[in-house]
Amino acid sequence: MLKAASPLIWAPLMLPTSRNEESLNQELAVWPARLTPEPTWADGAHAALLGRSTPSRGYDQADVYGSSSGASTEADVKFLHEIRDPVYGFVTVNSHERRVVDSAPVQRLRHVSQLAMSSLVYPGVTHKRFEHSLGVMHLAGEAFDVLTRQENVSDAVRDVVPELNEPDNLPYWKSVIRMAALCHDLGHLPFSHAAEQILPPGVTHETLSEELILSPDMEEIFASMIPPLTPKVVAKLAVGPSKSRENFGVWEAILTEIVTGDAFGVDRMDYLLRDSLHAGVAYGRFDYLRILQTLRLLQMSALENDEASLAPSVGVQQGGLNAAEALLLARYFMFSQVYFHPVRIIYDIHLADFLKLWLPGEKFSGKLEDHLRINDNDIWVAIRDTAHDVSHPAHNPAQRIYERKHFKLLYSRRPSDVELFHKPGHAIASWAKEEYGSDAVRYRASEKSGGALDFLVQEPLGTIASSTTVSDTLRNLPPNTADLVFIRPDLLESASLAIKKEDFVRDLLAQAAEEEARVEDDEAAAEPAIRATNEEDE
Amino acid sequence: MKRLARAAIVTTLRDELERRGSWAGETHLQKALFVLQEGASVPLAYNFILYKHGPFAFDLREDLNAFRSDGFITLRTQPYPYGPRLVTTEIGHDLQRRFPKTLGLYRKRIETVAQFLGNRGVTDLERIGTALLMIRDFPGADDNEISRRVRNVKPHVQESEAELAIKEVRRFLVGATMKEALGQKS
Repeated sequence: MLKAASPLIWAPLMLPTSRNEESLNQELAVWPARLTPEPTWADGAHAALLGRSTPSRGYDQADVYGSSSGASTEADVKFLHEIRDPVYGFVTVNSHERRVVDSAPVQRLRHVSQLAMSSLVYPGVTHKRFEHSLGVMHLAGEAFDVLTRQENVSDAVRDVVPELNEPDNLPYWKSVIRMAALCHDLGHLPFSHAAEQILPPGVTHETLSEELILSPDMEEIFASMIPPLTPKVVAKLAVGPSKSRENFGVWEAILTEIVTGDAFGVDRMDYLLRDSLHAGVAYGRFDYLRILQTLRLLQMSALENDEASLAPSVGVQQGGLNAAEALLLARYFMFSQVYFHPVRIIYDIHLADFLKLWLPGEKFSGKLEDHLRINDNDIWVAIRDTAHDVSHPAHNPAQRIYERKHFKLLYSRRPSDVELFHKPGHAIASWAKEEYGSDAVRYRASEKSGGALDFLVQEPLGTIASSTTVSDTLRNLPPNTADLVFIRPDLLESASLAIKKEDFVRDLLAQAAEEEARVEDDEAAAEPAIRATNEEDE
Repeated sequence: MKRLARAAIVTTLRDELERRGSWAGETHLQKALFVLQEGASVPLAYNFILYKHGPFAFDLREDLNAFRSDGFITLRTQPYPYGPRLVTTEIGHDLQRRFPKTLGLYRKRIETVAQFLGNRGVTDLERIGTALLMIRDFPGADDNEISRRVRNVKPHVQESEAELAIKEVRRFLVGATMKEALGQKS
């Protein structure tokens, strides 16, 4: 059996020559004979999800990803395909994975901006979800290799994660996680998150991603891969646990943490590296290779006072701690400087205003066929046309975008104001709307944690500790907050004069705090003691 | 339930857990709020799923981050090697005082849950939380079936530990204390 190797090692062996359809079909016809006759993969995956051991598939890393031996064959060079990438140099896919890359839902991502209209602030930010998805796929495979390499896994971890004792099955799981990473953003609307609020109730980009992965066309592609993949497993890992109503076992939690994890999720790693590169800001850069090298599955030892779980998490060795700190600092600064940039946010708001007035029924339909048909290009054309059509109901927001006549920042929260009222921007916006009318004011509040400050670190002597006890930086990293009020440009001078008056903001916030406490408590106490359902009512 | 009312309940439960000896880290609070919502019927409306260390709600994590941002809670570092604890700030205590009706309605249940879980460590909370989650998701299943399901999703939990956790949860759910807290007759 050939020893598994990372794609970085195979790279010199590859040529950008693709295999034609006929030879690929011949290969597919031969592959099944190489597999041990066992239960279907769906059975095996299901058993694995339930925590039972899965039967060996009988093929190894080289079967799935091509030979890694020094002697390259004709099959090797044609089986792997390289794609140039500005962050990693090359991203590699095999012929099976390439079918997924070439599918309509993935190709559509070539026309969906990664950062909505941020190019109106940072001209270089014109990159798309497509290259981000390829990057996440690449990093997911790298992280998986490091985390599951036998010499990197302790006996204690192996005891509680049976899947790690079945090295023959790991290529299957690597393929699953790479495809989950590749497909994790399929459901994004034009301009990504900016348009998210304009979906029917219950539909999100995550539910659309899930539907697309489970669609018949994608199912057929996954079934034709070697090994064949179970779309439901790919979808579950692609969407991740944060919006899921499904349970995640120990192994699934590890896999999804690789992609979507708060601390070292490769989705986050890629968007920070890629967005900062395109924005031309240095804040998002960090030593991702050092992080990848030092990733480990770690568990706190069972201690006397029972303050530890045996379920392992993705953590880092001490040697990667500084790089991990840099990642979380990068995230903090990228949110402060790029993602929560006021001008970027006001364009998101103008875009949402435009879409509500332009779309039939004021919403995207949420249907897959419509979703696949529309991308940023369609919306840009509509914005241009509508900006020139004064009779169109969406003319005003279209013109604001097209001619860069965006609303101006009136207020951004100050830490001292939070002591008076927890959402000072909300109070200012309410006042401004009353004073100047709702159409003249826009408000946006967002919160993001400073990162998962608490992750496990393996120290040189083998002890495991919380990152917060070994890193001053992580201990003191605050959450990111946007609490912004915007106003129509012609009203900025008048409104800013008002809020600059001595005690104006303080009095306004004190009054807002009193009013809110009275109303909120009355509403909460009026609820029945026990409700039949737990539906959110906000 | 509105966000600030939730904040008042979350911080009050945190305080009650700490009064009974809990370290009150995020994991403790996640499991205790799961029991408060699912076992004591306080309508917090968090979306709990099974995750790494038992029941976990990502929207609760978002709330905790938001509460930190609002200044209701703060992180306090623990002695080596443990993760941080959450601490209610003075602003958080002010908030609690502004919600007398809400807290009056749920205080007894909060105290009952804190009494049940306050002196337990993370491993124990993981077992208790996972047992309750399986009971919630498979209401018709007997204890053997629940135990099997707990061990399927948590291979590191021993059979005897799973059985004990299920018994404790059953006792909590039907116990006189809980019924009293819910205003029902024993």
